[in-house]
Amino acid sequence: MHLYLPVALTSINVLIPVGLGLAVGLLSGLFGVGGGFLMTPLLIMFGIPSTVAAATDSNQIVAASTSGTYAHWRVGNVDFKMGLYLLVGGFAGGLVGVQAIKILNAMGNADFVIKMTYVLMLGGVGGYMLYESLTSMKKKQVAEEAPRVESKLVRLLASLPLQTRFEKSGVTHSLILPIFFGGGVGVLAAIMGVGGGFLMVPVMVYILRMPMHVVVGTSLFQILFTCIEVTFLQAYSNHSVDFTLAVLLLLGSTIGAQIGAVFGRKLKAEQLKIYLAIIVLAVTVKIVFELTLTPSLLLSLGGGH
Amino acid sequence: MTRKTFATFAAVFIMLLVSLLNTDNALACLTARANHDHITIDFFYNGSEVSVRGISDPDVDLVVKITSPDGHQDLKEKGKVAGALWMNVGTLKFEDTPNLYMLQCTKKPEEILSASEMEKYCIGFPALEKHVGISPVESEADRSKWFGEFLKFKQSKNLYFAADGGFGPNPDKPDQHGYYMKFAWPYQAPPGDYLVTVYAVKDHKVVETATSKVTVEQVGAVKALANMAKNNAALYGILSVLSALGAGFGVGIVFGKGGGAH
Repeated sequence: MHLYLPVALTSINVLIPVGLGLAVGLLSGLFGVGGGFLMTPLLIMFGIPSTVAAATDSNQIVAASTSGTYAHWRVGNVDFKMGLYLLVGGFAGGLVGVQAIKILNAMGNADFVIKMTYVLMLGGVGGYMLYESLTSMKKKQVAEEAPRVESKLVRLLASLPLQTRFEKSGVTHSLILPIFFGGGVGVLAAIMGVGGGFLMVPVMVYILRMPMHVVVGTSLFQILFTCIEVTFLQAYSNHSVDFTLAVLLLLGSTIGAQIGAVFGRKLKAEQLKIYLAIIVLAVTVKIVFELTLTPSLLLSLGGGH
Repeated sequence: MTRKTFATFAAVFIMLLVSLLNTDNALACLTARANHDHITIDFFYNGSEVSVRGISDPDVDLVVKITSPDGHQDLKEKGKVAGALWMNVGTLKFEDTPNLYMLQCTKKPEEILSASEMEKYCIGFPALEKHVGISPVESEADRSKWFGEFLKFKQSKNLYFAADGGFGPNPDKPDQHGYYMKFAWPYQAPPGDYLVTVYAVKDHKVVETATSKVTVEQVGAVKALANMAKNNAALYGILSVLSALGAGFGVGIVFGKGGGAH
């Protein structure tokens, strides 16, 4: 059955967005990522204009991350204190990001800058996560060597002012850290139409040294509020949120997030990190192919990247 | 009245009569009617079908063209950066271009029409190419290349279409010389008014035209949502967020109650 989308001005088979929502929601519940870096390109592939795809994806991430956060909160896996500081940065970053879209669109090489940054970040994060997880699974002694390798970073972070204890995560950090990284994620969420979870999860694991099960719940909590802000701003400023499409997506994603949360508890932290790394690297490879292979169409609608 | 004056009047009268009779014979009655002249877009809309039918002279060829009003479109241009990477490198402006252009002829347009007539009535993609303004382009070859890409882009959205054949007798007027043909109307065509023009062609010239109109309009909840998104953006944004929050909590509670999983 097809349904007409009033803002996207297109018609789509309802099974497509519901199925996409289910698949991406599953990843959301499993890994604590919003899934925007997967969903937005998939929606574009199925004929949704890029601006509507990015904005509507933010809207459906609100539903998926609400569902996922609720599931993780019930089992005590959300560090609200850490999440709130991440949010302070995230809100500021979101405002900066919406303005940055206008500036970047006015620049001639904005597309180049965004895509290269995307490839480098995804490739770097995915590659590091995969390497680190595989190494630590194979060699137990690496666990002892790792603190020595990262000790400079740990010392640097410990020297920052405004140190505070995050009880749920069992770590002590400067308040500057979650605000700074939350801000970076907020900028990305607005510019790329992604929640930023694929960056936030590694940051929380490797820099903030939070336990993996708390990382997933806290990441979803932070993504939830960032995407609420981005959804409202996109609807208000760009009129690009398609509510009908969002409903179809969230029908699948909210259920998928719950199933993901159940499966996530049955997997070990290292397994979760490896699977997430593989997905991030697969997306990187896809983007690299898109950049290097001659596209079938040399013209596209404005507004997207 | 002198004999010379009478001869002159007679000659003029005969010429007028011949002229009128000739016109009557060739194209007395070209008509056009679109069967589906008001297409409504509701939630279950997935495109439609528009048939054009009418009466024409038996010895003419026909061209049916459906277009939206001319406008301008800005499209992102992809190019190679650093000799290897494909990405958006600029914006191309297309002026005097219809968003939708559909053409169906009884034979190939270049077989039945002269180049000047095709250009005059903007019939066929080569004529459309001359009609459309493209900027910035560096040369005629560059212009031609980007019109070709524009055509590919539009055809990928089912908004540009040209074909020949597919005409049949008018089922409404079986006793007269009528025509009937149909277009698959793409769901990608946005709401608005579209002009249907039927050209009768004889001796490589357009000898008569008839027009009709197709209106596409959003209705009901689709129209209400589209209007709210545009005119009450803040309320629309808040409702979108609240609905997503409600759905997320709702599913969370349902799964929570169901389950031993947590």
